[in-house]
Amino acid sequence: MANNEEKGYLSLVLHAHLPFIRHPEYEDFLEEDWFFEAMCETYIPLLDIYERLTAEGTDFRVTMSITPPLCNMMADDLLRERFRRYYSLRLELAEKEVVRTRNTGFYEVAKMYETKFRRIRELYEDYYHGRILDGFKKFQDMGKLEIITCGATHGFLPLELRKEAVHAQIKLAADNYRKHFGRGPRGIWLAECAYNPGDDVFLRAQGIRYFFLETHGIIYGSPRPRYGVYAPVYCPSGVAAFGRDMESAQQVWSAETGYPGDNRYREFYRDLGYDLEYDYIKPYLHQDGVRRNIGMKYCKITGKVGLNEKAPYNPHDARELAASHAGNFMFNRERQIEHLNGFLGKKPIVVSMYDAELYGHWWYEGTDFLEFLFKKIHHDQKTVKMVTPSEYLAMHPDNQVVQPSMSTWGDKGYNEVWLNGTNDWMYRHLHKQVERMVELANKFPAADGTLRRALNQCAREVVLGMSSDWAFLMTVGTAKSYSTKRFVAHTHRFNGLYEQIMGNRLEEAWLKDLEWRDNIFPEMDYRVFSTEEMEKAAKS
Amino acid sequence: MTSSGQIKKNNTAPEAEHRALPEGYGTTEAALLPRDPNWMFIYWEITDTSKTNTCKEHGEDVFQKGRQVIRVYDMTEVDGSGPNRYFDIPVMLEAKSWYVNVVESGRAYCCEVGLVMPDGKFIGLVKTNTVNLPGGRVSDVTDEKWMSVSADFDKLLQLSGVEYIGKGSGEVAKSLAQRWEMLRAVFSRASSWGVSSMSSQNLPKQPEQQKKFWLVADCELILYGATEPDAFVTVSGRKVNLNPDGTFSMRFALPDGVVDLPVKAMSKDETDSREIDIKVTRATTTDGK
Repeated sequence: MANNEEKGYLSLVLHAHLPFIRHPEYEDFLEEDWFFEAMCETYIPLLDIYERLTAEGTDFRVTMSITPPLCNMMADDLLRERFRRYYSLRLELAEKEVVRTRNTGFYEVAKMYETKFRRIRELYEDYYHGRILDGFKKFQDMGKLEIITCGATHGFLPLELRKEAVHAQIKLAADNYRKHFGRGPRGIWLAECAYNPGDDVFLRAQGIRYFFLETHGIIYGSPRPRYGVYAPVYCPSGVAAFGRDMESAQQVWSAETGYPGDNRYREFYRDLGYDLEYDYIKPYLHQDGVRRNIGMKYCKITGKVGLNEKAPYNPHDARELAASHAGNFMFNRERQIEHLNGFLGKKPIVVSMYDAELYGHWWYEGTDFLEFLFKKIHHDQKTVKMVTPSEYLAMHPDNQVVQPSMSTWGDKGYNEVWLNGTNDWMYRHLHKQVERMVELANKFPAADGTLRRALNQCAREVVLGMSSDWAFLMTVGTAKSYSTKRFVAHTHRFNGLYEQIMGNRLEEAWLKDLEWRDNIFPEMDYRVFSTEEMEKAAKS
Repeated sequence: MTSSGQIKKNNTAPEAEHRALPEGYGTTEAALLPRDPNWMFIYWEITDTSKTNTCKEHGEDVFQKGRQVIRVYDMTEVDGSGPNRYFDIPVMLEAKSWYVNVVESGRAYCCEVGLVMPDGKFIGLVKTNTVNLPGGRVSDVTDEKWMSVSADFDKLLQLSGVEYIGKGSGEVAKSLAQRWEMLRAVFSRASSWGVSSMSSQNLPKQPEQQKKFWLVADCELILYGATEPDAFVTVSGRKVNLNPDGTFSMRFALPDGVVDLPVKAMSKDETDSREIDIKVTRATTTDGK
């Protein structure tokens, strides 16, 4: 009886991604912290929630991309070892802090970090034995989590000239997904939601049934979509496109009215890395001893005050607040879905899409919010049913055929974030590399030995250069020199290998060095770039 | 993402990799990329050989006589008879790239870089691929099957939140940046966010809260320079990443006292080096009110 009472569906989609950052050539590397921070603040806390909900019998549905670079980093031995070092140091500091802050206003929050890092250690070591992809796979196999893939290196497809590059990004991703999760991906998150009409044929070729679009990708589609973004459409290829609901997006992330700005939540910009006495904190800084954020923060946003007037953070207050925000979010979805149901005359699907790292990393209590949201939706109401896109398509296989519009989820809705004065110089080089890679793949249909290794390494360097992250970081100005350096390095490495291959003078020592540095996709087969493979896929 | 650079333990040897990108690839070619419904980006490379060939074919002085342009063709609804409409954008061939603005969105375009001769003749030098620009608006095409819904479509648009277009992955960066700006406004202080500080941070004194009128001020230091793109440069012993053109700039927090910034550059082959030592003294005084 209860099963058929819902008035519509909510699909929560979290996009988890970081660029492939791994530097074996340095003992200690700043930007690797992005991954470790996201592990501690988002990825492992999400698994913690899934574990708890499952243990207490709360059913939930969530769709989550784990991009191939992230899969590669999570499975990498070196990064796993370095992550152990990272959380062990944090735990050591947290334990010291519990002693130091006794009888002060910071004791509760110090205690919180100790508990948190202990739990991270427990989950990482005892539950998953350092293989957290197995943790995600477990919940996928239970049918609660749907893991989707993404372009091989989060490549920005609308700015590629050659379809071989589009095909390679999708095919490599699908193969990598199979390796980690034991079956093919049903859905994909196109990097930056960047869609170029027609590229969906390459999704179909890999058995991918759906992808996601920013609102106007659907709304500006042709012919006009009957149900707006509240039902998926089929591209002419038969691949389904789900559109983003802006109401639920704004509710969480609006700078003015969004939840994370509440004064009782944790202040992001006040960090122990700056607050504590230098000699005491130094062992937890990087080797250069420069004060930086270390991810442990003791203050709440407090209000419109300076950083040194921030009040102590109270974990219990913040958690209660997250619960009430989750209740508010659910209430709004209920009303939205009731309203849409009446207006459309059918059950709408509301697709709420977010960067996963927003939950926990940027909005510290965001993971608590999600946990409360799952619980409340399961226990407290019957209007909204959570589904994955696959479940929706199984229930509602008939949908309108619409050609969606070119679009992205970036500023202004198109390609400008990834194509502007700060980064447009990249494309000449990137396109040349792809052209040369295709030339190599076509020229050597069956290479073996050292040549084969060199060709595979060429393909790795090309795909690493294709990451949309480099162009993005140049635009926002964060880590601009790092992203520039990375792009230049991969270009240089590719061009060097290309010239050596064409000149028949491969330097094996150099090749070996590159294989050691840029080891993404150990299973790489360079032939993924051949024109023949691309054409086969396009026709499939 | 809050970090700002890399750590190199033994920053002595120049990294073999850190060379500038190739200036060109020795092939005459051009590409056109879509930016948004009304803008495209074109880049081109025209080799000396191509230029020589053009001179051979059309006369030694074509490059002096001809106006250098990007010819933008509207490729929509071309029935095999070639493009029917075009317009020219004056440009210098040396620019190598350009942003092309078109009035009509939702159409297909292709560009050709070339010369317009005084007699109106066009000499094409290099042509791009064709780009289909998005319409950037709701489609005029309505399924016959669904024609009846058109009256409600405006309301559906509103419900879909179409006015929020473009609030994507940048939105968080933006909202965090806004918060940061807010913090800076009431309390000027640089953090690791975008500022690589070599000195530990001393927080400036707060304005007294009970008084209405207040002032905060602080300053930072920007160091910049340029050298050969493949040189190895250090500032205060730390390696600096050069931009592809050999320029570099760094921003530091500037506490009271003397900051010593020795800048050293070593040529790629390690045979030549230059050194510039910059000392900056800061002394802050306040009237104590």
